[in-house]
Amino acid sequence: MDNTSSPGILQRGALIYYVGSVTFAAGIALLAVGTAFITISRIHYGSEPEKIILSVISTGVGTTLILTGINMMMKQTRYGYYIVGASAFISLLALLIFTSNYPHNWFYPLISYVLTLYIAGFLALLGNAFANVILWMIEGKPEAVVGREREIKIYTDEEIERDIEEATRKSIELSASELKFKEPGVEEVKLGKTFRETRGNITKVKDDIGEAKSLRKTINPGERMKSGSVEVESVSRNLGEILRKGAVQKGRFGKIKEEIKDEMKKFYSSIRVTRNR
Amino acid sequence: MAKGLDIGTMNIICSEREEEDVVFTQQRNAFLELDSSDLTETMLDSAKVLYIERDERIYVLGEDAFKFATIFGKDARRPMRYGIISPKEKDAIPMIKLIVERVLGEPGYRNEVLCISSPGEPIDLDMNPLYHKKMMEALARRMAYETHVIDEGLGVIYSELSDYNFTGLGISMGAGLTNVTLAYLATPVMSFSIGRGGDWIDEQVSITTGLPKEHVCATKEKGFKLGLEVEYGSADGALSIYYDALMTYVIKNLNRKLAEVTPPKVEFPVALAGGSTLPDGFLKMFERKLREAELQIDISKIRLAKEPLYSVARGCLIAARTHEGEEIGSGGETEEGAG
Repeated sequence: MDNTSSPGILQRGALIYYVGSVTFAAGIALLAVGTAFITISRIHYGSEPEKIILSVISTGVGTTLILTGINMMMKQTRYGYYIVGASAFISLLALLIFTSNYPHNWFYPLISYVLTLYIAGFLALLGNAFANVILWMIEGKPEAVVGREREIKIYTDEEIERDIEEATRKSIELSASELKFKEPGVEEVKLGKTFRETRGNITKVKDDIGEAKSLRKTINPGERMKSGSVEVESVSRNLGEILRKGAVQKGRFGKIKEEIKDEMKKFYSSIRVTRNR
Repeated sequence: MAKGLDIGTMNIICSEREEEDVVFTQQRNAFLELDSSDLTETMLDSAKVLYIERDERIYVLGEDAFKFATIFGKDARRPMRYGIISPKEKDAIPMIKLIVERVLGEPGYRNEVLCISSPGEPIDLDMNPLYHKKMMEALARRMAYETHVIDEGLGVIYSELSDYNFTGLGISMGAGLTNVTLAYLATPVMSFSIGRGGDWIDEQVSITTGLPKEHVCATKEKGFKLGLEVEYGSADGALSIYYDALMTYVIKNLNRKLAEVTPPKVEFPVALAGGSTLPDGFLKMFERKLREAELQIDISKIRLAKEPLYSVARGCLIAARTHEGEEIGSGGETEEGAG
């Protein structure tokens, strides 16, 4: 996809992300194999040329693939893919030149050219990845890195209309809550005798309205435990005294233990549930 | 302390806690205008009738308005219609104010929490309950209450569905409207009202049988039994027909509204409340129709409120007490915690 979601970063499909992942994984594998080979074969300056070539190719290609994979997994700027392609090509070309010239033609100034070519490709890949990360951070779009296709929900006209109506209704209700009504001119109203005697038909039902507690728990499930500070201070003080006594009268350990238990019980019973504000 | 207030088209009910009881104070939301005279005043005083005198007119309030309407051959006036302040009744607000002040009483202390029920947005009427809601809020606030408003349907859920974590469908069939709320864990998913209730049944039966509305209403409220066998030409027969029609209409609209939301995939219990659910056989008939309707949600249990008339007021009281948080703070009900 070539549509732009922002001036700098391009939108892409999921395929490139998966190709990038595979490239990255292949790079890791190659680098691991190369490193293992260097260690196992004890590669040094005087090792056999074939072994040195194999070591350099596996680690060099591995490193290039890792960086290319990372770049492919990122959303790119308009020329990003060209930069990634060219950089990877330069690095791999440098490795190819090395392979074809080592050890017989591996002299100055070829060494410098090949090394410069590889380092240039390596730095370009690294720089491009870095630039994309910075750009993404500035634009503040975390989903841009992953690059997965977003699920686009298509709303019908009715749904949109309903949402607008709902939002409008809520804002109207809120706006009207600031209104204050004035009492119109007080008319002369004479109340009947019974008016002050009765409020209406009264029905009493035995009911503890326990639902209020359940409703509170349902609405605010995150109630927290809070200790009453006065009780805690008092119980802590008692506990401290007992512990001090215990230090002096070591022989009466069993009794002290019981007293501590009692105090702990008191301490827990002073803890009560309060509303989480 | 805290109070709940159900302001219905037919009844205004206040609920409050008194020691180990819940006290419901109820008054009819109606009044009757009479000519003022010393004789009338004496008669009303001796009969202990609730009335006021204004501009040389006497206004009988509450239940007595219906009784005197029959005696004087007049119609009792109703300050509310379709669950909100009636735009056709010029004395609606002062009369509701008087009745509410009476039923509610003074707050125990300044800013005592009060939760008021309010109708949901009607889906089949061109009206908006916002004005009614704000007026009722303002009225209570003026009496020094800290006011909160909940939908009637949610009130039913708070009152009847605590066993289900306040998840379910609350249906309040009142006089003016039928209010419906679908809630999940005490949070409304959908709330609306339907512009038909007990008054609609009374009107239709009155039109078809020629009986006065008051008579139909009295028949409905006193011993009427909903059943499948009825007598030809009887008021009971007509009532059964219109009850059936009302249930079908409510369920059809409920299913239509359910298609517009995406409720969680759980089984929802249903709680029925309101004055119009009082006749014997209502639950059986409604359950049969609801099961047959194959709603867009799974229904578990269908139950009728323990006190259908007081269910919304009780739900409001639960909401008010939750706002006030008194049950947690009070020592007697404190939960003991272990470390």
